[in-house]
Amino acid sequence: MATANTEEEKSKSEQQKNHGGGGGFTRWAVLAVIFRLTLIYFPGNLNLSSRPEVSTPLTSIRRLAEGYWLKQSSMSPYAGSMYHGSPLLLSVLGPLTVKRIEGQPSHILCSLVFVLADLISAILLRATGRKLQMAYRKSLKSLNLLNKSTDSGGLSSGDIAALVYLWNPFTIVACVGLSTSPVENLFNILTLYGAATGIAPLAAFGWVMATHLSLYPAILIIPVILVLGYGPDAPPSKLFRSKENGKVGDDKSSQEIIFSWGRVLHLLVWTSVWSVYVLVLCSISVKQHSSLQEMFQRTYGFILTVEDLSPNIGVLWYFFAEVFDFFRDFFLIVFHSNILFMILPLAIRLKHRPCFLAFVYIAISSMLKSYPSVGDPALYLGLLGLFLDELADMQFCFFLFCGYVGVSVLSPVMHNLWIWRGTGNANFYYATAMAYACFQIVLVVESVSSMLNHDRKLMKLSASKLQK
Amino acid sequence: MAASSAVVAILASIWLCSSIAADASGSSSETTMHTNNWAVLVCTSRFWFNYRHMANTLSLYRTVKRLGIPDERIILMLADDMACNSRNKYPAQVFNNENHWLNLYGDNVEVDYRGYEVTVENFLRVLTGRHESAVPRSKRLLSDEGSHILLYMTGHGGDEFLKFQDSEELQSHDLADAVKQMKEKHRFKELLIMVDTCQAATLFNQLHSPGVLAIASSMKGENSYSHHLDSDVGVSVVDRFTFYTLAFFERLNMYDNASLSRLFNSYDPNLLMSNAYYRTDLYQRNLQEVPVTNFFGSVMETVHTDSAYRAFPQKNTPRETRIRTGKTAEDDSRRSILTDMTKAECPFTRIVSSLESKMETVGNLDSLVNYGLVMILPVLVVSVWLST
Repeated sequence: MATANTEEEKSKSEQQKNHGGGGGFTRWAVLAVIFRLTLIYFPGNLNLSSRPEVSTPLTSIRRLAEGYWLKQSSMSPYAGSMYHGSPLLLSVLGPLTVKRIEGQPSHILCSLVFVLADLISAILLRATGRKLQMAYRKSLKSLNLLNKSTDSGGLSSGDIAALVYLWNPFTIVACVGLSTSPVENLFNILTLYGAATGIAPLAAFGWVMATHLSLYPAILIIPVILVLGYGPDAPPSKLFRSKENGKVGDDKSSQEIIFSWGRVLHLLVWTSVWSVYVLVLCSISVKQHSSLQEMFQRTYGFILTVEDLSPNIGVLWYFFAEVFDFFRDFFLIVFHSNILFMILPLAIRLKHRPCFLAFVYIAISSMLKSYPSVGDPALYLGLLGLFLDELADMQFCFFLFCGYVGVSVLSPVMHNLWIWRGTGNANFYYATAMAYACFQIVLVVESVSSMLNHDRKLMKLSASKLQK
Repeated sequence: MAASSAVVAILASIWLCSSIAADASGSSSETTMHTNNWAVLVCTSRFWFNYRHMANTLSLYRTVKRLGIPDERIILMLADDMACNSRNKYPAQVFNNENHWLNLYGDNVEVDYRGYEVTVENFLRVLTGRHESAVPRSKRLLSDEGSHILLYMTGHGGDEFLKFQDSEELQSHDLADAVKQMKEKHRFKELLIMVDTCQAATLFNQLHSPGVLAIASSMKGENSYSHHLDSDVGVSVVDRFTFYTLAFFERLNMYDNASLSRLFNSYDPNLLMSNAYYRTDLYQRNLQEVPVTNFFGSVMETVHTDSAYRAFPQKNTPRETRIRTGKTAEDDSRRSILTDMTKAECPFTRIVSSLESKMETVGNLDSLVNYGLVMILPVLVVSVWLST
């Protein structure tokens, strides 16, 4: 009886905290939207849309406007190697780039779409974080490791993740600078949300759209399958098995984690349904002046063959500018399989934490993708906030923070020195790109190791509790 | 007897072949169509006191551009820079008259060969088209068998030679050789050579390629004189022959059909103080029928065709020429399936083709795509509701 009362009190206090946290979240979210709208009204979008960090050949709004104009002039939107995105995005955002409203800045409608995409991403992140936190609490409770100190005061990890996503300067720059990465990030987060809440058609839709817009989220199918199969992030399953062997059935629910093939099959069916739908829509859209094969060649083929070597914050452009033609294919395979080779070992090691696995995949792909922009760190830094409970002991946090700040300040400076003043050269700018890649590597390695340390600590604690 | 008859037979067959070949080459200039005009304008003298040669060439450049030849089809070779010469009182300005009415060095003069690049070797390379691979396209004479080329040269010359840069000579056999190479390689349909130097007519002595028209400012033993001295600039600013040529052209615009014979007859030996000589024995056409814009301008004949220009291609014409890139073999095969419905066996392709024909009747495909995009939302909501 007493335990039931304390549980009631605990749930009430949690609800109150959530409400208080919810009020704080909505306040900060509204402030973030207002801040974006203020920045949008600055003249010329603060010239952010012409920066190489923001607008890559895949995310630039000017290329989208050019592709739309080509389509309106009865030509293939992919003519002339300007536009390399999805024809569906062209149908949605294209008319908005043309519409001008008196007295408002240009592209105001596109900016509003991107602000809305950011807001929806933040709301979805918050819901995902809430789901993850509930699952974490449940698993800790079943291991009898839950105590007052694990209650995080104030904002939950979902709120923190959503606010980090909204207030991250990278996200704000990507939104105000009119790149299409807010839309891509929205679909990535929708995938994770659908997977975490167990709604297979939503996860399938998010995955199909994210892969359609940019190729790299294709690797997220593995964490999505794992989430739908095993459930959201939990400590390693051997903990539960050893606990069962140790104690005599104290809890009512069995903690045996079975891989549910039914949900995975459901997901695969919906994936095929949505991909057929998207492919049919695309083929109708490109039927008149282009073909589906040209669409694949100009979108996926462009991403995979790295045709455009204009500078960006990635590491591929400098390399492929100087590689001999004879070796170009070889190095393309090397760079792309660098992402592919890491999929399997990470999946094996982190299969009990599939949402964290998704974060690691996104971080790795944003480091090694052909045209990274500033929207990629926006996504994974927001996702990092979802795992604050587990990553509380992460090392080198300050080092990484300073590193990110330093790179984001020095990289435009070096670009200016190289291109506009002519007193620097490409090596200055590429050095900042390499430093940025190094910091990303450190982030990934440290977060994975601290997550594994957290699991080891849980095992030690649970083993010590069993012995008591 | 048999041997001699065999030799006669061989000789007869050789003569027959050569006559056929000669006929073919001779009639080729009539069978090809005149499609484009080129101009090669060469000033071969350097130093400040040869200002007038530069002004000659730039005046002709301006005329030729005004009458329609674009910069892409003009090769302008200037051996020295008079406009920015330190002795030029009017910097960046070149005049061909003491009234300074016209600045020849306006806003868009494109000089292809400048300064020391104007050599006999480069000149012959331009004419024959035998360049090194690194030479850019703007420096090449990219004419074909339908081109009319105007070749204008001015500078100092003499008996069967023309002086380049005060250090080299172009001789008449060099020029004839180059023209013959051009003819062999079908680099021109008709060529008009206009030379304004002393004893200019001797430069044409060795020419014998058909389709070449040549006019010179003076004959053997005569000098070509400058027109007047500009006391402000300090040197003579134009030569007489070019002055009267320009006077003829200033009265024309692009649409005049003044003939070449009128141009050639407009030169007055008393005013020129020399005898302008023109050579028409290599040129088949009658000079009274040839408009000057055939060489000095660029007036094209438009050929009216019956096929209409379509913005949206029709699907069911199998013999339509494919202009767009990106069409694959699959599309070709699909189109052939469309036009040949009876041959379609596979039911899948029949369904696809019937869907395509239905889609064409829909009309605006964009609205269909928009409907499809809007339909995503209810489908998503229904599926989410079904799975919870």
